[in-house]
Amino acid sequence: MQVYLPIAEMSVDAFLLVGIGFGVGWLSGLFGVGGGFLLTPALLLLGIPAPVAVASGANQVLGASTSGMIAQSRRGNVDWVMGAVLVAGGLVGSVIGIQLFAFLRGAGLVDAVVSIFYVVVLGSVGSLMMMESLRAIMRRRAEAPARLHQHFWMHGLPFKIRFRKSRLFISVIPPLLVGAGIGLLSAIMGVGGGFMLVPAMIYLLGIPTAVVIGTSLFQVVCVTSAVTIMSAWQLGSVDIVLTLLLLGGGVAGAQFGAQMGGRLRGEETRALLGLLVLSVAAMLFWGLIDTPERVFNMGPG
Amino acid sequence: MRWLFALLLFAAPALAQPEEPLVARLSQDRVEVSTTFDGASILVYGSTAQPIGPGGAEILIVTRGPEQSFTVRRKVRVLGMWFNGPSAQFLDVPAFYSVAGTLPAWRLLPEAMRGAFSLGLDLLPMESTGARAPQFRAALLELKQQAGMWQEDAAPVEIGANRLFSSRLPLPATIPAGEYRVQVLLVESRRVVAQREMRFLVERVGTAATIANVARYQPLLYGVICVLLAALAGWLGSVVFRRG
Repeated sequence: MQVYLPIAEMSVDAFLLVGIGFGVGWLSGLFGVGGGFLLTPALLLLGIPAPVAVASGANQVLGASTSGMIAQSRRGNVDWVMGAVLVAGGLVGSVIGIQLFAFLRGAGLVDAVVSIFYVVVLGSVGSLMMMESLRAIMRRRAEAPARLHQHFWMHGLPFKIRFRKSRLFISVIPPLLVGAGIGLLSAIMGVGGGFMLVPAMIYLLGIPTAVVIGTSLFQVVCVTSAVTIMSAWQLGSVDIVLTLLLLGGGVAGAQFGAQMGGRLRGEETRALLGLLVLSVAAMLFWGLIDTPERVFNMGPG
Repeated sequence: MRWLFALLLFAAPALAQPEEPLVARLSQDRVEVSTTFDGASILVYGSTAQPIGPGGAEILIVTRGPEQSFTVRRKVRVLGMWFNGPSAQFLDVPAFYSVAGTLPAWRLLPEAMRGAFSLGLDLLPMESTGARAPQFRAALLELKQQAGMWQEDAAPVEIGANRLFSSRLPLPATIPAGEYRVQVLLVESRRVVAQREMRFLVERVGTAATIANVARYQPLLYGVICVLLAALAGWLGSVVFRRG
């Protein structure tokens, strides 16, 4: 069934979109990630214009993360103070991201720069994941001594705040910077950024694992909301029909994926996820270097 | 050929008044672009007082849609990757353009006359800023034709019973909203002897139109609605699909 996307200004098969949503949702449930980094490239492959793919991708991630955040906050797993600091940084980062996006669109460079961001970010995250999980699989028996808290240069920074729930007394500067970086990526790549935010919160900020998921979901929901509103306002690129079709399949797929994910071991899961992330990066990299069929292209404006 | 029969019925009153040299009609004066719109076509038809076709007069039909600006970009290779490089902006060219005739326009009229009526893609005024190379103009012509937005002699104007003519005007799925002008010219001995002008409207209707309007004229409100709808849909979905 063909459905007309009012903002993308094109007709697409509705079942195909629900199917893509389901597939991405299934994978994201399986691996416990948001799935934005799979969704936006899938939309680009379908021929959805890059600004619409990015903005609607962010809008979809917002929907997909809402119920998780509600569930986590009910269980008391959200550090609201840490969340607020991360969101504050995220807002700054996403505002910068949207301005950059608007500039790039004027210069006709959106497609290439979005792809480059994907290749660099997914390439490095995927490689790290692969290496880390392979190492973990090989050294499964050698148990590492668990250190509670390490002190390094970061802890000499000023403006310290007590984050009660995270049992931390650290400067607000690192979480602000982490939040801003994720906000920038969210605006340009149409992702929630959980796949970078979670490791940064655990290894860089030292937040206990129990509150990491809830707090990162809170940040993702707030920042993708901001990206959605700013994209709609400044770029006019959010297609709600596209978002809702993707969400329809995505929410169902995530439940099935999560059921199956419980049966996989942590290291194997991460190795598979790393492989998936690397393949998306490789595919987009190929799109950048492959000689285009048409040297000329046309757009409105 | 059911349409030919319908055509005769429509054209009958016109045939009864031989003083009208040219009568022309459109099958519809409104095209509604709804959520499931997948392209449409309009029938341009009419009759003439004098015989048309081989040995007689000829018919030319030219259609122009609303004017828009388009930017054509050329990809260049930088560090092994392809980026959009030089660009040319074409200001106020018709978003849709079609010319058709019982014979190609260049065989019927001198070039000056064709220019006056913009008959032919080669004579379409295309003012541009930016890159000057002629390839940009050629690329715009090619891309617009591939999209079905610019058509030149896509299908000939058909003649029936020496005095009736008809032509189907295909409108692609991505047709922009606005007013479209259809000119029908009666040509004899390299001169335009009669002309008729008609208009039709392409309008967005239904949910898609409402969404596009809100997004365009109240973008902040639209953004907030998108946030609330996505959050609601995500939450509802997780309730419905919980535990498989």
